Amino acid sequence: MIYSIEVRDLHFRYLNKEEETLKGINLKVKKGEILAIVGLSGNGKSTLCHCISGILHNSYKGDLRGDILLDGRSLKDLKRVDIIKKIGIVFQDPDTQLFSPTVEDEVAFGPENLCLETDVIIQRIDDALKVVGMENYRLSNPNHLSGGQKQLVALASVLSLEPEIFIFDEAMAQVDKAGRTSIKNKIEALKKQGKTIIMIEHDMTNLDITDRVMVLKNGKLQEFKGSL
Amino acid sequence: MQIRENKIDPRTKLTAVIIISSLAVFIRDITLLLGILLITFTITYALGNNPLMLVKKLKKLIWVFIAIIVIQSVFSSGTPIIRVANVTIFTVEGITKGLQLGLRMCIIVISASIVSTSSPREIVQGLIQWKIPYEIAFMVSIAIRFLPLFIEEIKDTVTAIQLRGIELDRIPIRKRIKIYSYVLMPVVASTLMKSKQLSVAMESKGFGIYPTRASFKKLKMVKADYLIIAVFLLGAFAIIKVYLY
Repeated sequence: MIYSIEVRDLHFRYLNKEEETLKGINLKVKKGEILAIVGLSGNGKSTLCHCISGILHNSYKGDLRGDILLDGRSLKDLKRVDIIKKIGIVFQDPDTQLFSPTVEDEVAFGPENLCLETDVIIQRIDDALKVVGMENYRLSNPNHLSGGQKQLVALASVLSLEPEIFIFDEAMAQVDKAGRTSIKNKIEALKKQGKTIIMIEHDMTNLDITDRVMVLKNGKLQEFKGSL
Repeated sequence: MQIRENKIDPRTKLTAVIIISSLAVFIRDITLLLGILLITFTITYALGNNPLMLVKKLKKLIWVFIAIIVIQSVFSSGTPIIRVANVTIFTVEGITKGLQLGLRMCIIVISASIVSTSSPREIVQGLIQWKIPYEIAFMVSIAIRFLPLFIEEIKDTVTAIQLRGIELDRIPIRKRIKIYSYVLMPVVASTLMKSKQLSVAMESKGFGIYPTRASFKKLKMVKADYLIIAVFLLGAFAIIKVYLY
């Protein structure tokens, strides 16, 4: 069986650190599944996300061993552009992932980087804003939006890349209850479209939409049995 | 999609700013500098900016100008106006140079505000269409975007210090400077962390993946833009001619 995400014996140690952050992670995520990964701060949840999304190789220095497969293809064999088209990530802090003067510019950022045709970019902006329900804020400055709305814009900016896999790296941590509900609804809608989703979570109340929960403890991934 | 065809192209504004600033640096005649300042004032006002607000901000620098006048007067020869115990405090040349500097700064700051009447996205697009590498154009845009966050960060750190019982307004200046030095470390650390997060977010969306980058918005210069640039060039030429002859 080909999994949407498959991680085989993944080890990672940051440069200048003696201990490994990830100590032999094995993980299989099916297409259309919502997997939540919980764990205490500093246990390597975000590091695992960055490994899966291929960011770690470019942005952080360290020793990476093991293999990550996306739809059966090793990350090592994929070009950066293929990884970006396949996997999208929504981060925790909206202020450091929104950098454009208007919402539409923010959503267009990814497709512009992929050098898509103008018509395609405009279509993708329309579609992504419609999915997150932010069409009326198209020309607004992202700085002037609420935390929840900012995260919806961040999600739209990932949606415009049309990836198959979404990672939400504590994306609801800085959002109020209404914002959380809105984002959770969008995640459920993505699941219905067959998208694979990994949610990194601190807040147990956000786990109600997940199919499976795992805990990352001392660099190892285990089945979640109710406590961290 | 084209950006605001009915308005002035940001490249026209950038050209105007370059011409005005170059004139301010090149010309030393106070009357001409005053004339350029007046023109800059009018253009800025016509574009919807309030130059008086900028002048108010520049008022804070008045002591810098006075210091320059005194330094120029003390260390260079000239016609003395005020002398205290055989030391010349003010000379005609010192005052002239101080005024020149003040006027130059006013012109450059006010003219730069002309560009701010365009959105950062338009400015970036203008720079890209001027064949400036998009990485550099984005660097400018992000610097503009993150400046308020940086200021907010400093304010938050100062507030955190004050919440620990230090009343910055009531302590001597030497101690105050020392306390401000404590602000620097957390602010720099936080800024570095945020810039790292920002670069990760940009890379995750494919920034820098290809040598070029598409844009769903395109700027198009219209006749009015070319006319404005021509007027600026002719005006600059006329001012230089008056100045030289």
